[in-house]
Amino acid sequence: MAGVVLQVVLVGLGSPLLVGVMRQVRARLEGRAGAGIWQPWRDLRKLMRRQPITPAGTGWMFRAAPLLLPGTALVVASVVPLVTTASPLDGVADLFAVTALLTLGSVALALAGLDTGTAFGGMGASREVTVLALVEPTILLSVFALSVPAGSTNLGDIVTAAAEHPLSLISPVSLLAAVALVIVSIAETGRIPVDNPATHLELTMIHEAMTLEYAGLDLALIEWASAMRLSLLLGLLAGLFAPWGIATAGAGPLALLVAAVVIALKVTVLGGLLAASEVFMAKLRLFRIPELLAGSFLMALLAVAASYFLA
Amino acid sequence: MTEAIYVQLLYLACGAFLLTGVLVLWRRDLSAIIRLFALQGLALGALILVLAAYQRDLALALVGVGVGGLRAGLLPYVMRRALAAAGAHRETRPLVNAATSLLVAAVLAMLAYAISRPLTQLAPGPTIRAVPVALTVLLVGFFVLVTRRRALSQVVGFLLMDNAITATAFLTTSGVPLVVELGVSLDVLLAVLVLYTLTDRIRASFGGTDLDELRELHD
Amino acid sequence: MTASLVTAPIVVPLLSAAGYAVFGWNRRTAWLGAVAAAGLLVGAALLAAGTRGGAVLAALGLLRADALSAYMLIVIGVVALPAMLAGPAYLAAEAAAGHVSPAAARRYGMLTQMFLAAMALAVLAANLGLVWVAVEATTIVTAFLVGHRHTREATEAAWKYVVICSVGIGLALLGVVLVYFAALHAGLSEAQGLDLAMLTERATGLDPGVTRLAVLLLVLGFGTKAGLAPMHAWLPDAHSQAPAPVSALMSGVLLSVAFYAILRVKVIADQALGPDFARVLLVVAALGSLAVAAALLLAQRDYKRLLAYSSIEHMGLLALGAAVGDALALAAVLLHVLGHGLAKSVLFLGAGHIQHAVGSSRISALGGLLARAPLLGGTFGLGLLALLGLPPFSLFASELGIARAGFPSGLGWAVVVAFTLMLVIVAAVGRHARLMLLGPAPAVAAEPGIRVPRAVAGSLVAALAVCVLLGVTTAPLDGLLRSAAAIATGAAP
Repeated sequence: MAGVVLQVVLVGLGSPLLVGVMRQVRARLEGRAGAGIWQPWRDLRKLMRRQPITPAGTGWMFRAAPLLLPGTALVVASVVPLVTTASPLDGVADLFAVTALLTLGSVALALAGLDTGTAFGGMGASREVTVLALVEPTILLSVFALSVPAGSTNLGDIVTAAAEHPLSLISPVSLLAAVALVIVSIAETGRIPVDNPATHLELTMIHEAMTLEYAGLDLALIEWASAMRLSLLLGLLAGLFAPWGIATAGAGPLALLVAAVVIALKVTVLGGLLAASEVFMAKLRLFRIPELLAGSFLMALLAVAASYFLA
Repeated sequence: MTEAIYVQLLYLACGAFLLTGVLVLWRRDLSAIIRLFALQGLALGALILVLAAYQRDLALALVGVGVGGLRAGLLPYVMRRALAAAGAHRETRPLVNAATSLLVAAVLAMLAYAISRPLTQLAPGPTIRAVPVALTVLLVGFFVLVTRRRALSQVVGFLLMDNAITATAFLTTSGVPLVVELGVSLDVLLAVLVLYTLTDRIRASFGGTDLDELRELHD
Repeated sequence: MTASLVTAPIVVPLLSAAGYAVFGWNRRTAWLGAVAAAGLLVGAALLAAGTRGGAVLAALGLLRADALSAYMLIVIGVVALPAMLAGPAYLAAEAAAGHVSPAAARRYGMLTQMFLAAMALAVLAANLGLVWVAVEATTIVTAFLVGHRHTREATEAAWKYVVICSVGIGLALLGVVLVYFAALHAGLSEAQGLDLAMLTERATGLDPGVTRLAVLLLVLGFGTKAGLAPMHAWLPDAHSQAPAPVSALMSGVLLSVAFYAILRVKVIADQALGPDFARVLLVVAALGSLAVAAALLLAQRDYKRLLAYSSIEHMGLLALGAAVGDALALAAVLLHVLGHGLAKSVLFLGAGHIQHAVGSSRISALGGLLARAPLLGGTFGLGLLALLGLPPFSLFASELGIARAGFPSGLGWAVVVAFTLMLVIVAAVGRHARLMLLGPAPAVAAEPGIRVPRAVAGSLVAALAVCVLLGVTTAPLDGLLRSAAAIATGAAP
């Protein structure tokens, strides 16, 4: 129980920091001073003080999305094995449930974007759903491929099995699944080369187009949720492919603390790598994104196939 | 080498073999495609070396070095020469776009699995279980050959098929007899040289290596 | 003595190729190719006598000659001789037109000889893997021969030829690998795993599942080289663009050599899987090829392509005969191979001269050929009649044999379909032949008459004469045909 609380707190408080670190890495690599790693928190604090306004004519969907998005992210944060594999919500720590929860958040935001009735909102929603349609099956398939050796779709069991047999991590299954998951994580969190979180260019934006009409507390919630989703997916990657240091059931408080430090380190390193690679990459043209995602889908499918053939 | 590590390394080589094969479908840049092909040659060489190390067979190891050298060194070198001469560096207008090709590759993987059922049933074992991987690359190579419009891409498709057949030979039987192996390697090398020369001639007489230009002969 | 005879058909053309490499192509070496072809033919005849007592091994067991190999060697020799005799005239004409440099002529001499050697190796190899290597070698050697003229069309034909054939033959290689896999699991040693004789002997122990896949791939792969549908697309292009003597060789024997490989595979397949599997494959290929040929012959506008499609037709017929698969059918198939080789070489060599004289390979460019050049027109016309299977040519006898064997074997329906398609082909080719041969000489015939060198004319007439002779009696070949057919049915080892 303590582990889960620690995990949720870590994700909730640490996610904006992760975004700050990534921006700072980018800034330094690009030769700028950067705003410091606390800037996302300062932004959130500023937004929270402002009054949320809703455009005229929008319905309940527009108001529900800023609650659903962080809500689902927090539930996922409580079940995904980041700090500990022993979650009291163990039954929900199923891979399908986690994927469905993440999708629920994305769909809510897409519907909210449509609800505004503006051109940008609808465009962003349609692009988001296009990406989503290829991302979700890929996540499902690649984690499913990893679940075959463990014999269970429970994320905790998968991570435990991987930690017990580290040799199985250098197999084609995890190689292919890792490639697929990295690509879809980038797409899902709206990073380069799929989407650029730093611009509001109407030709290319996906995620930002849907949040244009939000202000104040609502915007803060959405930004916070996006940061959490990013750290959750990076944490999931770290847990699945480098499962060392994660506390198992019945671990003492010290082990939990160590695990928390380890996961924070792993996610920070991953985030730093991601930010560094973004500096050297150009954004893909929109019509080539399905190509990239189809590629990752194929990798995931091959991973599933390989987990059966080569088992 | 213990059984577990052997199987692990073998499958890792197979995974790299498959990954490079599939990525060829993705890239349009011809020099990247050649690089992928060279990497695949390395994976194939590594695969044979793993087999040789497990069976403690020096001759097989030498064959592995030879196959790796041919497919990761010599053939890519010839193709890079052809590319430098050809001047066209991108695969333009493939008949099937990259996204669809990748999805087709997924179907081909399933097909390869279905085709290799009789083999896995005859002799279940770690090497035979990897045969679908080789057959997937075979089908992907065939697909590249059929849908790409650049002379060099077609050559890569042909060579992917050939790599896959070689991989199958080593996975199923640790290789065909040496005489045949020599003949096969020589034939492949010569076929590539012939195609290299013909690419040259196509460029000389058609002014490019776009095979869509080849439509003098039809009924 | 017999052992060295086995290697002779490979070594003699190779020596001759070396001769061209050293001395180049000149007036003295021009006839070297024909001498080598004659040597090959004599060697084949001696080998036919030498294998009467059974198979002969040579070269550490890598080569093996039995009646079937000897017969195929005779076919190679019989077709190669007129083709090689026509070579000097062809090159002289090309040189006069300024198409051929001395280097190209030297390459032509070398490659044609290596081509003969590769075909001889294919029929003499004792090992399925070696058969594969030899068949692929023929592709590589002939690639430059097809592209010999360096025109756009020739380059395109050569590209298609190499790509399609290499892919097809690649599939056959996979088949070879699978056969080897099945053989090792049937308890054969590594040295015997691809040996044709051992495979045939122990075929019943091969795993049916794997063997089925292997046979499918082998038939598809070698079928590509044999020009069987659905992998025939390269054939009309390559055969119409290659130099006439090379077209004669490719159409007349190379296809049959590839078909020989299918026959060998079929023997193994019949033992391992029962006769039905190979039969279904071959009937599909046969009817497909005949249908393709019939469809594309109807509106054909190019006489060299017409001949090429006719080769597809005849390969289809061979496949049908092999599908029937009893001793009579296979004897007919083998006789048909020889008859087709003779008729096709006459036609392609004639077509080469016609093309040189007229400057076009379009049917509409001809007309009144009989009036313009009686000898050439006559042999061309007779060759077409032979090809259509009219008596007294041997193709009539062999087609009749296939049909007669087909009905009792339960493939009567396929024979009926095949002969209906052949009726269409007869009508189509007949119409084209009338356009080309008959009628008055066109007004523009002020051009000098089409002259055919004596050596070529002699060989054309001789080839037709042999074809007629075989149609009247097969007596000189009876024994050989019978033992070769016995091997191809699997009745004799």
